[in-house]
Amino acid sequence: MNATAQIRTETCLLLERISQQDRTAFRDLYHSAGPKLMGVLLRILGTRSEAEDALQEVFTRVWLRAGRFDPSRGAGMTWLVALSRNHAIDRLRARKPEQTDDGVAELIADTAPRAETRLIAQGEARRVTECFDTLEPARADAVRGAYLDGLSYEALAARHSIPLNTMRTWLRRSLLKLKECLEQ
Amino acid sequence: MTDTPLTPLEEDDALAAEYVLGVLPLPERLAVEARLKTDMDLAARVSVWVAHFAPLNEAYASVPVPPDLLPKIESRLFPKASALRGGWRLWLAGTVTAVVGVGVFMLMPPTAPGAVIASLGDGGSALVYEARHDGSHLLVTRVAGTPAPEGQTHELWVIAPGAAPVSLGLLGTDPLDVEYPRPPAGWVLAVSVEPAGGSPTGAPTGPVILTAEL
Repeated sequence: MNATAQIRTETCLLLERISQQDRTAFRDLYHSAGPKLMGVLLRILGTRSEAEDALQEVFTRVWLRAGRFDPSRGAGMTWLVALSRNHAIDRLRARKPEQTDDGVAELIADTAPRAETRLIAQGEARRVTECFDTLEPARADAVRGAYLDGLSYEALAARHSIPLNTMRTWLRRSLLKLKECLEQ
Repeated sequence: MTDTPLTPLEEDDALAAEYVLGVLPLPERLAVEARLKTDMDLAARVSVWVAHFAPLNEAYASVPVPPDLLPKIESRLFPKASALRGGWRLWLAGTVTAVVGVGVFMLMPPTAPGAVIASLGDGGSALVYEARHDGSHLLVTRVAGTPAPEGQTHELWVIAPGAAPVSLGLLGTDPLDVEYPRPPAGWVLAVSVEPAGGSPTGAPTGPVILTAEL
């Protein structure tokens, strides 16, 4: 827990230095945050080669946008993961239809979400886990799958064998319920 | 909690969450991104959702990064000319003190910051845009012809090999100045004609009138 907090502070400091064009800080950030961001990109994009391409783009953006990071609005690592997820999802959604994430969806469909939840619960995420538990298990899985694996509504609907529109209604209700719980 | 329709605020909140999750199809995703540029309320909702979901990030494993990637990123961000950041002022200083011998100086035109990286259209075209890069910004200036007629606009796109075009912005009366890394060789810049306000879909919809490979 302390180690995590420390890494976060360090990430913030590095981002601040990068915004002042400090190339040493850029290298340090690449070494400290790169592996985590590579993990995000690999999980969402599914192949190493595409994840590596994406990582180059992510770090390019980090260099150009570090000045927009505002430490008062969240941790540095959160900002970096959000930037990486955004870029990975942009890539996924821009793929041609025949390359949809169905394959990836099937691959990860049998991972054990419960184990993942337990893992998360050891960290700072207990509150989120508790709130996920207020949702029906299938809906909680859908939200988690969307977030962690970058699944589209299409992929989610296929995975849960329900029509797309139903999936969307379902997920939106679940999100608002989740929010209500998180902001209690 | 079941079938009552969502209020407009709930709609926006759900939309922000869907955007952060990444479930939206591309056109809707791009529409949210366009709104985020001006809609501060929606942007704030997005920030809140990013923070809400952040604890899930712990489930992402760390994966070793290949050692040759950092040099690639650095050479893209800091091309050899980047040692000359400051551009034309340095160029002038260089000529005044007669410090020659750095070939890059000679390639840089004395009148504008950044080297010309592409010319969209040539001597024979009625319309010509010139693209320059100064190390961190892409500057695109119309050097011949007139802007798009009323109700339409020119839109600039960058296309990586094998990838979909990405909009860099609209070309109106003033030069377009956009923060963007220098596109590597083999990438293409293109100009299309779009309805005023730019492509409604996030992809070129009108005719592509100019292209240049870098």
